[in-house]
Amino acid sequence: MREQLEQLRNGALQAVATASSVEQLQDIRISMLGRKGELTALMKGLGSLSATERPIVGQLVNTVRDEIESALGAAIASAQEKVIAARLQSERIDTSLPGRRPQKGTKHPVSLVIEEICSIFSGLGFAVAEGPEIEHDWYNFEALNFPPEHPARDMQDTFFVENDMLLRTHTSPVQIRTMLKQKPPVRIIAPGTVYRCDSDATHSPMFHQIEGLMVDTKVTFGDLKGILTVFTNQLFGQKTGVRLRPSYFPFTEPSAEVDIACVICGGKGCRVCKNSGWLEILGAGMVDPEVYRHVQYDPENISGFAFGMGIERIAMLKYGISDMRLLFENDVRFLRQF
Amino acid sequence: MNVTYNWLKEFVDFDETPDELAELLTMLGLEVEAMAKLGAGLDDVVVALVEEKRPHPNADKLSICRVNNGKDVLNVVCGAQNFKQGDTVALAQIGAVLPGDFKIKKSKIRGEDSCGMLCSEKELGLAEESAGIMVLPPSLAPIGTPVFSALGLKDTVFEIGLTPNRSDCLSVIGIARDIAAKLNLKLRYPQCTIVEGPEKVESIIGVTIEDPDLCPRYAARYISGCTIAPSPEWLVKRLNAIDMRSINNVVDITNLIMMESGQPLHAFDCLRLSGQRIVVRTAADGEQFTTLDNQQRVLTPADLVICDAERPVALAGVMGGLNSEIESTTTSILLESAFFKPAAVRKTSKRLGLHTESSHRFERGIDIEGVGRALDRAASLIVELAGGVLAEGCIDIYPGKSDRKAIIFRPEKANELIGIDLDRDVIIDILTRLECRVSPCADGSVAVIPPHYRIDLEREIDLIEEIARLNGYDKILATMPIARVISDRPTRHQETEKRVRDLLVNNGMTEIINFSFTAPDAAGKLLLNDDDPRRIAIKLANPLVDEQSVMRTTLLPGLLETTAKNMNFRSLDLKLFEMRRVYFPGDGEDMPREPLCIVGAITGSRDGDGWSRPNEPVDFFDAKGIVETVLDVLDIGGVSWVVENTDPYYHPGKSCRVFAGREQVGSVGELHPLVQKNFEIEKPVFCFELNFEKLVKLSRTKKTILAPSRFPDSARDIAMLIPEELAAVKILECIRAEKSKEIEHVQIFDVYRGKGVPDGYKSIAVRIRYRSFERTLAEEEIASLHKKIVTNLIDKLKVTVR
Repeated sequence: MREQLEQLRNGALQAVATASSVEQLQDIRISMLGRKGELTALMKGLGSLSATERPIVGQLVNTVRDEIESALGAAIASAQEKVIAARLQSERIDTSLPGRRPQKGTKHPVSLVIEEICSIFSGLGFAVAEGPEIEHDWYNFEALNFPPEHPARDMQDTFFVENDMLLRTHTSPVQIRTMLKQKPPVRIIAPGTVYRCDSDATHSPMFHQIEGLMVDTKVTFGDLKGILTVFTNQLFGQKTGVRLRPSYFPFTEPSAEVDIACVICGGKGCRVCKNSGWLEILGAGMVDPEVYRHVQYDPENISGFAFGMGIERIAMLKYGISDMRLLFENDVRFLRQF
Repeated sequence: MNVTYNWLKEFVDFDETPDELAELLTMLGLEVEAMAKLGAGLDDVVVALVEEKRPHPNADKLSICRVNNGKDVLNVVCGAQNFKQGDTVALAQIGAVLPGDFKIKKSKIRGEDSCGMLCSEKELGLAEESAGIMVLPPSLAPIGTPVFSALGLKDTVFEIGLTPNRSDCLSVIGIARDIAAKLNLKLRYPQCTIVEGPEKVESIIGVTIEDPDLCPRYAARYISGCTIAPSPEWLVKRLNAIDMRSINNVVDITNLIMMESGQPLHAFDCLRLSGQRIVVRTAADGEQFTTLDNQQRVLTPADLVICDAERPVALAGVMGGLNSEIESTTTSILLESAFFKPAAVRKTSKRLGLHTESSHRFERGIDIEGVGRALDRAASLIVELAGGVLAEGCIDIYPGKSDRKAIIFRPEKANELIGIDLDRDVIIDILTRLECRVSPCADGSVAVIPPHYRIDLEREIDLIEEIARLNGYDKILATMPIARVISDRPTRHQETEKRVRDLLVNNGMTEIINFSFTAPDAAGKLLLNDDDPRRIAIKLANPLVDEQSVMRTTLLPGLLETTAKNMNFRSLDLKLFEMRRVYFPGDGEDMPREPLCIVGAITGSRDGDGWSRPNEPVDFFDAKGIVETVLDVLDIGGVSWVVENTDPYYHPGKSCRVFAGREQVGSVGELHPLVQKNFEIEKPVFCFELNFEKLVKLSRTKKTILAPSRFPDSARDIAMLIPEELAAVKILECIRAEKSKEIEHVQIFDVYRGKGVPDGYKSIAVRIRYRSFERTLAEEEIASLHKKIVTNLIDKLKVTVR
């Protein structure tokens, strides 16, 4: 029986060594170790052995079976590896071809800048407010302390529509509408479309502004400077220099033009800042008592500031756009870059 | 307002350089918008003496000069002939840069060294043409002096952008006054000496103001026997420096004094005035008048005119008349200095489109108390430069003269509002420097009477601004406000707007923004019916151009124009959207409505030109899919699609309206070929429109979320033939009508026409996935349910199951 086992073992190992596929190896396993396999049959014959021989031969059978099992296992593993290696080799693709991308759309730069500014101010506790674009003269001018026939109205060339209405020339009427609706404290930011009848390389008859208004007790001009410094630093990067200089708007006093250190040249002087090192980006000031009078606020108890800026101007500075008209030509070759 | 550095220096002794002064003015709120340095870079062109001049040995037309610049004697080769030894000339030394970026270098000309250049007026930018070099008067200035300084031409012109409140700075003195206040220096007002003749002014001319409301003050002087001539050079230069043209001595003086004092003046040829009278009155309706610029003007009763006994001779505060203009033969002059009501001047000037230096000042308000002083100053200068005799006395009609009221001002209020901490004395000093009269009150406040020329200072807040301004905005520390917490969550409208914009962008669409105004025929191009409400647009009263004359009622025309424009640039694969307001007139007194709308257009190939997928063109279902996604994301319930009565700009067979319940919320379709043609678009375009306002209202904010079933599913397919005119949606509706909880999903997975399908039919394949939330469905259950559905389809819709 020993010789028989030896023969069987050698035959099996030989077969494993010469097998060339996983399938052949599986067949060998069945023919040897399967229910009707040769080794199994041999094991069944153990019963006919004597009590002393049985454990010895039994152990031998086990050894032979383990040997065949392990040879088969190794061979199958290696055959599988080869199969996988061959598959991987055959499935090679040219990964340098471009990927299949979901199409990317883009927001208009005006929308992008509005979103960014609103998000900065929302972090400072300002809510977004809106108002009509077709406005009454009273909200657009009178309540903002532009009396009729006042030369300050020349600062804003106005489009008129019927019924003593006009296309708002600034987002400032939203200040009035907000203050008429609520009592202080007020903290709003109002983005919107505005219109002036003026059209050339630097003026568009339609453009966008963002208005800000804060009214509370003891708000100071220094606070205005603080808020605008934080804002410009967030919008244009840390430590953008900010300069306030005296100016005039009928609805604020004291009023200021706000300049930032030129973002193009860093304040050294270049073509964009006309060699001044400064870029004018917004107008601001403390809300004029006359405005409070129109909305029934008492300037003896509260104070506040307002500011307004042109979105297109900021978009042009942020993205280095030299001609405002590009923003409204809607050429996708331009828009898709944002 | 243009002003020069030297001119300002006549009134105040500051030490600042032109650059420093520009910065100072800007920080005072008198923004220097531009600065021109006359003679900039020409400091190296100096007065020099030609000590020797001899012919060039190697050139007939050149000479070699020994030129003394005060330090050295230099060798200079020169080609000009118009000078001699001993002449004083302008020498451009090595290093000088002449206009046109012409750098002077040491050179060798035909073998002889030349250390500079003798300049002509043209080369120095002083004249258009010049023959030969500039020969200077011998005693002009010590040799070595820069030529521009020696000629008094070295100056800087500041172009100041004045805000409308600062009418007091529409004059050189006004600006000098602010500089003096800022630097705490003394202002020198110009002095004038009046020498009057024996003739009394009242005996020559009488003045009547018929409308003292529009003309609160009118003053005049009379000068006889003067000679009209060109102005002296200093006057011409001064006016030229600020871009004013010299006319003649008298007119130039009126302009000079206007620029100096801010008071517009007008000189009439007195002999051309009829009846020795001046009447200030409003014009008759339709009255005609020819202004100095030779334009015939038709007047209205709102216009104030200065008349002689018979006719208008000037448009008050705006422009004089041709009929009384100063001419070369004029000998007697009536000089007018007046105050006209700002609003009246503004009205006339605006209506006639006639904006002058004079109207600009009157509109903004001049100093009514300065009327007499400017008149005297101009009159004395006329006598000085044009000769003649000044009549005795001055006509001055000023019935309403009144004192300015004091403003109660609290220094601590200024500190509090500005956020500074100035001593009371410092604050009072600032006001005093501004020529305010300040007197303390018992309660700690002060009574402030501003100077008469500061008509903008009327309230406490105006004085507070002056404190901030003079003290310097740069001295204010940036602080963060102490604020109360407010709830500031964006409104649902705002949140939804952002959500939809993000969604469209994330689905490959590019956002566009078109102007809100459009052409009046935009509705016509869309083939809208005559009674379509979108044909009633709000019109602009004063449009810039006809193409931008009405407020848009639909975003489509702009979108289609943008599509066409991009296609012209060969951008053929487009996915565009616009999300903006449209405008409809309000009912009666109501405000116009400005609903937010969304439109989109897609055209070209679906995936762009790629290597991996067939390059298929987009179609109706791409557009519809975008709409479905928006409705899905906003969780709009009860969506249905209606093919009837779609808008006329759509292809009637490839469009539908979308409803949420009974409300139409949008539409989608292929553009009608005629509309496509109207907008000059070459290829099919698929559009959609959504009514954003309705979507916001209908969007469900609460969602019920189900845990997924843990039991296995089972899918069954049905392929059927249906007539072309039967909408596929009917099949889905029929299946869903079964309302079985076990139907998890129904999907059309194939639509086929062609081989095996008879004409007029389409084959539709539907997959139904069955699954229960409670148990594993038995095969028989599914079979019976599926059979019921198939039977329903056959019975109700007459489909033929294949």
